[in-house]
Amino acid sequence: MMRVVALPKAIMAGLAGAAVMEVYSLIGSKVGLSSIDFVRQLSASAFVNSPVLANAIAIAVHLSIGVCWAVFYAFFFWGRLRVRPVVQGLIFAIIPASLAIVVVYPELALMRHQVDLVQLDIPSYFAALSLSTIVSLLVGHALFGATVGAIYRKPVGYAADDQPSKPAARQPKHYRSKRADGRTGFMFATGIECSYPTIDGGRWRRDEMDSTGHYKLWQHDFELAREIGITHIRYGPPLHLIFRGPGQYEWDYCDPQMEGLRDYGPEPIVDLCHFGVPSWLGNFQNSDIATALAEYAGAFAERYPWVRFYTPCNEMYVCARMSALDGIWNEQLRDEGAYARAAWNLANASILMSDEILKRRPDAIFINSESSEFYQPCCPDPHVQEAARAANERRFLPLDLIYAHKLSDPMHKLLVDQGIAQDDIDRLAARAVPRRSILGVDYYEWNERLIDRNCKPLALGELFGWYVIADQYYRRYQRTMMHTETNKMDADGAPRWLWRQWHNVQLLRRAGVPLVGFTWYSLTDQIDWSLAMSEALGIVYPVGLFDLNREARTVGLAYKHLIDLYRDQPDFSDCRALKEVMG
Amino acid sequence: MATFLSAHGYDPGPTQRPLIAGAIAGILATAPAVPILIWFRSLKVEAQILNLSTLLTLAIGWVAMAFAGAIYSRVFGRAANNVHGGWLFGMAFGFALWAAGAVLVLPIVSHGRAPAGPAALGVAASLLVWGLATGILLPFVHHPLHENLKKASRDAQVGPGAAAGKQQHVRDLRQRSNG
Repeated sequence: MMRVVALPKAIMAGLAGAAVMEVYSLIGSKVGLSSIDFVRQLSASAFVNSPVLANAIAIAVHLSIGVCWAVFYAFFFWGRLRVRPVVQGLIFAIIPASLAIVVVYPELALMRHQVDLVQLDIPSYFAALSLSTIVSLLVGHALFGATVGAIYRKPVGYAADDQPSKPAARQPKHYRSKRADGRTGFMFATGIECSYPTIDGGRWRRDEMDSTGHYKLWQHDFELAREIGITHIRYGPPLHLIFRGPGQYEWDYCDPQMEGLRDYGPEPIVDLCHFGVPSWLGNFQNSDIATALAEYAGAFAERYPWVRFYTPCNEMYVCARMSALDGIWNEQLRDEGAYARAAWNLANASILMSDEILKRRPDAIFINSESSEFYQPCCPDPHVQEAARAANERRFLPLDLIYAHKLSDPMHKLLVDQGIAQDDIDRLAARAVPRRSILGVDYYEWNERLIDRNCKPLALGELFGWYVIADQYYRRYQRTMMHTETNKMDADGAPRWLWRQWHNVQLLRRAGVPLVGFTWYSLTDQIDWSLAMSEALGIVYPVGLFDLNREARTVGLAYKHLIDLYRDQPDFSDCRALKEVMG
Repeated sequence: MATFLSAHGYDPGPTQRPLIAGAIAGILATAPAVPILIWFRSLKVEAQILNLSTLLTLAIGWVAMAFAGAIYSRVFGRAANNVHGGWLFGMAFGFALWAAGAVLVLPIVSHGRAPAGPAALGVAASLLVWGLATGILLPFVHHPLHENLKKASRDAQVGPGAAAGKQQHVRDLRQRSNG
């Protein structure tokens, strides 16, 4: 599956396109233009003794053909060209128009013969085609294409104030193995991709759980995770759908899934805020999000008291950068100060959320996942060196805040310049970080970047590798660690990447770093991550252990192989570092 | 389209058995297509064109559609297993078979003799119905034929050696650099 297709939209586009084409034919024939009426052509081919039936069937066939072409457009064509949707539709129309001219129209002429068998040669086959017929076919199909292009757009996501259908009800299935509470083995994890930022100035909501079909297939997804041998699953209930306002919660959006996880696992690592906030909270520039999200975290911990692992705010640095520095999500700003405000608000939210959870579950474990990044200057040019230094300091800001690490002078100044009170900065710096905090370090092949001569970052690929980059984070924060995300967009190369990441994990463990888990992210393919979800195109990003049909990818088999190989090894069946955190 | 399919897993999944699943789906999908061929007299006309008996034409056609189903399943790979989109891929393939086979190849091999009238309509309709049925049936036929995940995951190709990717053993590389 290459695209996520919004079938209702495609069907509507196809019906409308065929109808417009038919109206054009009718108007054309009324005003004396030579126009091809496919309904008339079709009705003249069969059931000629029953005109009503022939017309009805011909209309149905023509509309169906319109729908087929529109769905074909949605699967293969939509979003491939960087032009307006109407123009995409127009260009696409060349395909059905060509087939109509070369195959369908001459065949329709053949079908109107009174005999069952004819002797054909090329001139007789194309005899029915004249220049005016060809022009008419081209115009009709152009109208069809433009209509389909105009109607079929944004196949994924929904208007920010809308709500998708609620998750499927839990089917009564009983599995042999129940979820094991208090398991201290190494965490072999995956995740359900759950990002929900807004784009288009906050008007359009991306919702990866909706786009990947998880709301419908959640029970099957958990079954697949268990089949692979996954022990822990990073799971982010849709904050924007559940938290409807102060004191208002729609738990229906996660009750069935949470019950499934509670009973049969895998053990969830609950991700409370993943790149977005509910529309009523605006965006990450709003300083009220910290207290609001703290209220939500408290309510969540109260409703699901059995949950022990939490990620209060996922990848705060990435969230702040994409929202306030790169101008892609949520507030869509491109400003260093806005980045600092977003990072501050996210860090504050993370801290207050942790506090609220700890009030309900004093032994809660926090896995603070962050993207591990590194910027390498390309040359000794002072501007390049300075740009790399600034980028390297910026990446640490949210973690410095939540782990009470001393801020670098430029980052400290940046916060003060944004009006953050010195007392508040001091309060965070003096805070006792919860003992059960695990530093989650995510790593992808674009995380190492070269600052080029124009001070622009270029993806370096795996230059130093996760071992080196993660070690930088360990040295800075001295926390128990977990590899919390990795994947690769290459179905064939993914097993290689998986095993190489795994060897990095082992080497870091052997070097004495307390490492408690590894994560292939995510269970299924994702949508539009090749363009950071900046546009609602519905392109499948094939990084999952399973594709969106829930068919295993090679990396799914490789991960199962890996888990089966290591799960029962003494170092992994009983993970000392995890035991220490849990104790 | 080929590159696009390729980037997203053009190849069938590692646990899939596309050829056998496609052949079975192709055989099953021929069942609803045959009455259309008979109703429109297309079968008789095709037998006449091929100089064969109706029964033999039907038998050959059924075998051909098994092959066509296998080709469809192999060519469309993972996409053919999509419950929502399979019908469309199947119909597109049926249309291609009609355009390539019935409209182009059949007249060429039969020295220009081609079905016309209702018989021509029947050929087109039967192939579209066959494609639709194949597309719809394939995911359901394929599902029980999948190789077990546990067994498939034991394959050495997805084991620790995958870390080296398709690189050769160090000795091979050394020999090559020396050579």
